[in-house]
Order: sequence, then C-alpha cells, then structure tokens
Amino acid sequence: MKILIVDDSKLARTVVINSLREIEPGAELFQASNGAEAVDIFKSERPRVVFLDLTMPVMDGYEALKQIMALDKNAQVIVISADIQSEAKLRVLQAGARNMYPKPISKEKMLQIFQQDLLI
Amino acid sequence: MNIEFNEDQIDALKEFMNVSIGAATANLAELLDAFATMHIPEIDICNSHELMSRVKSTIDSDSMYYVTKQLFTGKFGGECMFIMSHNSAENLGKHLYNIRTPSEDDISDAVIELTNILSSTIISKLTQELDAQVQFFAPSSQFVDADSIINSDDLNHYSKIIIISTILEFEDQKINGSVYILTKDEAIESLKMLINKKIEEIYG
Repeated sequence: MKILIVDDSKLARTVVINSLREIEPGAELFQASNGAEAVDIFKSERPRVVFLDLTMPVMDGYEALKQIMALDKNAQVIVISADIQSEAKLRVLQAGARNMYPKPISKEKMLQIFQQDLLI
Repeated sequence: MNIEFNEDQIDALKEFMNVSIGAATANLAELLDAFATMHIPEIDICNSHELMSRVKSTIDSDSMYYVTKQLFTGKFGGECMFIMSHNSAENLGKHLYNIRTPSEDDISDAVIELTNILSSTIISKLTQELDAQVQFFAPSSQFVDADSIINSDDLNHYSKIIIISTILEFEDQKINGSVYILTKDEAIESLKMLINKKIEEIYG
C-alpha cells in the first residue's frame, strides 16, 4: 500500500512515519514538504492514503486537498494539523477529507485512524 | 556557549511552536467566535540590538501600538511580546464587547486578556512539548509609538536573543498582531538541550 505523508517539518513527518512503520510495516511511504509537491506525487503515485498538514509554504493543505480531491474524489485524505479550530475541521471535512486530528499524532490515534476512518 | 541551531533543531523548534500557536489560536478563536488564519512561525537568532529593526520592518511606523509583555521563568525562561496596532485593538474591543465605540480602557483590557491567553497557551504548550515547567508573571501593557516598542534598556544585559515570531490574523474581524517570544543567553542553551532530547526520542 502506498501512503503519502505531507508536512513542511521533517520532525512531524518522522512522527507519522514512526507510527506507520509499526501499524502498516509493509507500506510504501512517500514524503512531500508542501502542497505542490504533494499534488505532484499524488498524480504520479496515486497513494491509497494521504496524511496532510495544513500550514505549509508554497501551497497550503487546503489548496492541496482541493486539488487532490479534484484528481480523485475517492482519495483518502487524513488531515493532521496544529490548527485545532473547529472551523478548520469543518472546512477540511467539507472539502472531502476523511477526518482531521491534532498534532502530534500518537501510535494509538494512528491505529484508530486505520480502524475507523480508512477503507483499507 | 554554543547557541547556534542546526537545521534539525530549527525544524523541531518550528514544529513545536506550530503546535503551541495552534492551541493558542484555537483558544482565541473560541473567545472571539471567529476563524483565524495560521501562519508559519519564523525563528531567528540575532544580536539583541537587532531586535528593534526586525520589529520595525513588520509594522507601519506611523501607527500607535499596544505592546503587551509577559515574562516567564524556569528551565526555559524569557518574554512573550504581543504587538497590535491601535486599529486592530479597537476592532478587538468592538468585537469582544459588541459595542460601536469601546473606551481606551475597554480596548486595553481586551488586549491584555488576549495576550494573557495567547502567551500562556503558547508557552505552556511549548514547555509541555519539551517536558519543562515555567512560571508566569502578570502581563503588562503599554500604548506607544512605533519607535518606542522596544526599550533598549531592557536589552542591555543580553548579547544574543532568539526571536520566534508569527502573525495572529482574524481576517473577517480585521484583527491581527505579531507575537514574539524572546529568549536570551543561558535560556537559549537550555532550550537547545530540551530540543535535542526530543529529537533523540523521535529520530531514535
């Protein structure tokens, strides 16, 4: 299974990757450090799941989500963000994200995402 | 004393700040019943005398400003400074008290309350991320012109400072301000040690 992790912080990507390596050890992981890179990788690799940050340089997560959903309306995008405003969650859910969680994401929360939010 | 930060340390500090500012923004969004746009925090290490020019490069030199400062001490000590123009502060007063013409006292109270929530949430969350503890002092506020935002006497005792800055922006309400977290000398070294510990935990 291909999984794309999008965050401008290497540390934040590593936190997600550490959890994924335990929960989905066979997954093929791709990384992007902004929304534009994420859209490019999504086009070429068609990952089954995308973990997406919101506040990023070049292209933010809102725009990346919009473009990814336009490429594939069944894309499974989970937003993981420091922005924990209820309005932000409403916006990303309306734009097609499966769910949104606050940073930092724990292993237990990642397990819950795979069990409850994703169709794997 | 080595106070330079490498790329991984800057990345980690930015990320911890991002999480901390996110928590503060959510608290303020609830207080104001409004949506805020989050901005990526910037981190700079510079000589203390450069602070004024850095602050001035982001503001309108003809405006008057509310400058609210809150000191914190502990393993990671420093100062959280929030700068808001008179126009933004007036909009904050109008919005918060739901009145057309708030008094200067109303405006000042609103700015202090906002800064208190902002700085205590940011610093509490940051120190929680870094497994450290801090104590807060009561915030104090001044209404000053652009040239008086930074009092040079306050910076005389210090050589280097780390500036962590971001913008708080409630676009629809026309309320915005700049947040600066200033940490000096020994505190920078403590901060670096705390960050290194977290980096080791995450990268293994």
